[in-house]
Formats: sequence, structure tokens, C-alpha cells
Amino acid sequence: MTNQLLKSEARTAYLCLIPSIIGLVVLTYIPLAAVFGLSLFRWEGVGVPQWVGLKNYVRLFSRDPYFKDAICATVYFAFLSVVGSMVYSLFVALLLNRKIPARGFFRALFYLPYVLPAMAVYIGWSWLYETNFGLFNYLLSLVGIKKVMFIGSSKMVIPSLALITVWLSGNLIVIFLAGFQNVPRIYMEAAETDGANAWQRFWRITIPCMTPIIFYNLLMSLITNLQVVTPALALTNGGPGNSSCFLSYLMYVYAFRNGKLSYACAIAFVSFLLIGVFTLVLFATSKTWMFSAGGDD
Amino acid sequence: MARNLKSKKRQERIANNVTLVVLIVLSAIVMLPIWWIFRSSLMSNGELFEWPPTFLPKRWLFSNYKKTLEFYPFWKYLKNTMTIIVPAVLGGTITATMGGYAFARLRFPGKKFLFSLCIGSMLLPTMVTLIPLYIMWTRGLNLVDSYLPLILPYFCGGGAFNIFLIRQFISTIPRELDEAATIDGAGHFRILVSIIMPAIKSAMIVVALLLFIQMWNDLLQQIIYINSDSKFTIAIGLSQFKGSLKSDWSAIMCATCMSFVPGVVFYLLGQKYFVEGIVMTGMKN
Repeated sequence: MTNQLLKSEARTAYLCLIPSIIGLVVLTYIPLAAVFGLSLFRWEGVGVPQWVGLKNYVRLFSRDPYFKDAICATVYFAFLSVVGSMVYSLFVALLLNRKIPARGFFRALFYLPYVLPAMAVYIGWSWLYETNFGLFNYLLSLVGIKKVMFIGSSKMVIPSLALITVWLSGNLIVIFLAGFQNVPRIYMEAAETDGANAWQRFWRITIPCMTPIIFYNLLMSLITNLQVVTPALALTNGGPGNSSCFLSYLMYVYAFRNGKLSYACAIAFVSFLLIGVFTLVLFATSKTWMFSAGGDD
Repeated sequence: MARNLKSKKRQERIANNVTLVVLIVLSAIVMLPIWWIFRSSLMSNGELFEWPPTFLPKRWLFSNYKKTLEFYPFWKYLKNTMTIIVPAVLGGTITATMGGYAFARLRFPGKKFLFSLCIGSMLLPTMVTLIPLYIMWTRGLNLVDSYLPLILPYFCGGGAFNIFLIRQFISTIPRELDEAATIDGAGHFRILVSIIMPAIKSAMIVVALLLFIQMWNDLLQQIIYINSDSKFTIAIGLSQFKGSLKSDWSAIMCATCMSFVPGVVFYLLGQKYFVEGIVMTGMKN
């Protein structure tokens, strides 16, 4: 009897999971293998693929004129965006976690940029960044700073795009907020009884309890920002020069504008490895700073 | 002791007031770009290119919107975008709920393995699989210039994070509820539909909102899969529009503001459930 019950339970489970399993196998793991497989061929979308072994990678690392710049631009952008949005969103979440009037209103307000369509955001910001009549140069002129080319200069373009990412990081705020509300009240009360002041409570209780959430946000925003492509598509076309030609954008250009599909696969696989390395480093170092309550699952 | 408590209360009140002031300043800064875009949409081009610029338009030219709509087919783009988003969001939310339910409640062989595969895929960059998927959809299944490659993937679990979110949420519902229903003779599907789903409504709304935003922002895939003008989404249409106008910033800002609206409306409708939804999941492990 129980055996039969278990069987029917398993049957229901597999039925429920069919869509997810198809998604995982057909849309995720097989394409991952395929991207590596394809990168070992020479194929431009027509005819029979030609086996070339690791030649695509050799070419990428030795002769490609854009590849090194693309890696630098991607890592630089990801670094600024991750650091900026983590600091900003943790700070805002901290403020929003206090008992203040109209909390829901403020929360909605800081989240708002995240729900705007990316394309419109970049177009809107390109007007704010406009050199002669834009908002930012106007604000700078009020404090006596000369006009800056935000999008038009290769030195400023990455920090300018990263600032937009920081502005868009409302989702991190919400996750941080959720984390704050899960910090056990008992710890706080115990510390208070023991005479710990607000500052000590913050550093000794809130932050350690938050480290898993910080880790999660750090990991996810790192993965997202290392794949950055939309600002280049929507706004800069990789320019000026190659200064915002991100790895994913380079892949897009090779694959969909020049038809070099297999070569672009090599770029995709390198970017997979790059993100993998960053993820592993983060996981490895997390043991030294992430607090775990132990015991419970 | 009483005095101590009183001074503590006062301290708290001061801290809250400072927080409030900082929040007001910060939110003004955060809103400034949106205001600037909106105020630009109400100005004439002549006024836009004046120095120094002003924070308020001299005259609020709402007629700019009417003029822009004459040559910017916003409604068509919106309809196209919704044709993709509505089925995808429904499909993603339902299949994520089913997957989350199986992982949270049911026992079956291979559960641990499947769950790790699922969580593992969260770490996998979506850019990496783009080209093989493109080849599969356009060459393998011959879906060229079609919305299906954008919609169908969402019927496959709606993404690992969303499955995980639903699973966490279901774990917080007491099992006694399902057990009582089992005794009354309800099957697993019945339990899912009539007990679990009503209880996790807010999590499902969160998932729907996240999926909506994800598709809304997915410019790259829309560019890749959609070719003909008549099928353009808001994202592609807007970029085309900007490319064709170059310096008519007042019209470009009108088009930009229009495309802000649907996301904001959807968010405000679901807002209430949002943080609650994420808090309830615990997000601990």
C-alpha cells in the first residue's frame, strides 16, 4: 500500500517536473556542451562544419584585435557595477529597515528604476549624459566643473554605464531588505541586554547574519554584470573605439553581424570560463567571511 | 532606569528623523533622471537646447505625445510585446509552481540530483547558450522571424531562481494542511491546485513580476529572433525610432516615457505582494 502511494507520488513529481527537466536538459545543459563542441569547428552558418580543434581559441588569444580590450572592458565594468550597486543597495536597505513613516512608498520608489525597460532607460540616460545640454553637465557646471564627455570619451564611458547599473539595482535592495527581516530578533535583544550599542549590534549581529545574503547578491550581480551586453546594444555600439565592446557584445557582433558562428562560440565559452573562475574564487573565499548558523539546513 | 529608557527612546527618534531626511534626499536623486526625461518630453526642441536648462518646462506641451504617436506606432509595439510577454509569464509562473511543488513536497528518486542540476543552472550565464539555442530554433525548428523562440523557453520551468523561490515558499506552509486533504481523498494535483496555490499567491505574483521584467529587458534575444518591422517590440521599436530621429530629443523622450508606463503599472499592481513574497521565502540557503 505505502509502496503504491510512494509510486504515485513519484509519478506526480515527474509530471510536475517535465517542463523544468526539458528546460534544464534541452535549453541549458545540452547547449552548454554544444557551445564548446561548435567552438572546435569552423562554421559560418552554411555548408559543412570543418574540424579545426583549438584554432579558434588560438586565434582569439593571439590575433584577435578586439578580444583583449573586450575582456578588460567587461571586467572593469563588472567591478565598478558590482561594487557600486552592492554599496548603494546595502545602504538604502539599511535606511529602509528602520521604522520610518511611508516606508512602503520609499521602497517602491527605489525599486522603480528596475521595472523600466532597459532600452528606454539607456536612451533616456543618453539624453541626461548629453555633452552640451544634458542634466549631468548642467549639474557639474553649477559646481564649476567643465563639460565632460560621458558617453563620447573612452575614459568615461565605462564608469558612466556602471552608474546606470547602480541606479537600476533596486532588486538587490529588496533582497537585502528581506534578509534584514530574517535576522533573528532574539540575538538583537540578547545583545541589547548585554549592553551592546547600536554600532556594535550592527557589526556583530546584523552583518554576520547578513553574510549569506551578501554572498548571494554579490554572486548574482557578478554573474549578471560579467554578461553585460544591453548598454552596448542600446547605446554605445561598443564605442567609442572599442572601449565599451564587452565580451558578450563582441560575441553578438561576430555571430549575428559577421556570421562567424563557431568563432563566436569560442568567445562564449571563454566568457563561461571567465565567469566560472570568478564564481569559484568567490565560493572559495566565502568560507573565510561567510557566517553560518551551523546545524540547521 | 526609566530615565535611561526615555533617553534611549529620544535617541531612536533622532536616528529615525535623520534616516528620513537622508532617504528623502536620496530618493530625490534617484527620481531626478526620471523627472528629467519626463520634463524633456513636455518641452519643445527649442527649449531643450537652451542654456541653462530648467527643471520645469515653460509650457507643459502634452501635445508632444500626440505628435509623437503620429509617427511612432507605440500601440502596435505594445501589442507585439504583450503577445510575447503574456503567454510567457503565464507559462513560466505555472511551470515554476509545479516544479517548486515537486521539490518542496513530493518524494521521488533522483530528487537531490535534479535539484542540484536546477540550482547549478542558476550559476550558468545565459549568454553562453545563446548561439546553440539560436541554431536550434532557427535551423533545427525553422522558427525564423517568430515569437516562439522567445516564448517557449518560459514554458520550461520559468528559470531556476523562480522554481527555488516557489519551493522555499511552499516549505513555509504547514504540511498538516495537505495531510488533512489527503485523508479526505484529494490527490497531489488537487492539493497543489486547491490548497498550495491559494496559499502561495504572493510568491506566484513575485515570480510573474520577475519574469515580466526579465522579458521586458531582454533586448538581445528580441533583436536576434525578430526581423520584420511589423513584429517589432517596444525595445526594438524604440531603438529604431531613436536611430531614425537622431536629434528630435523631445519626440524621443516622449517615446521613452510611453514605454516606461506598462512596467510601472504592472509593478504598482503587484507591489503589495513583492517584499512579502521575498521575505517569506527566507532566502537563507
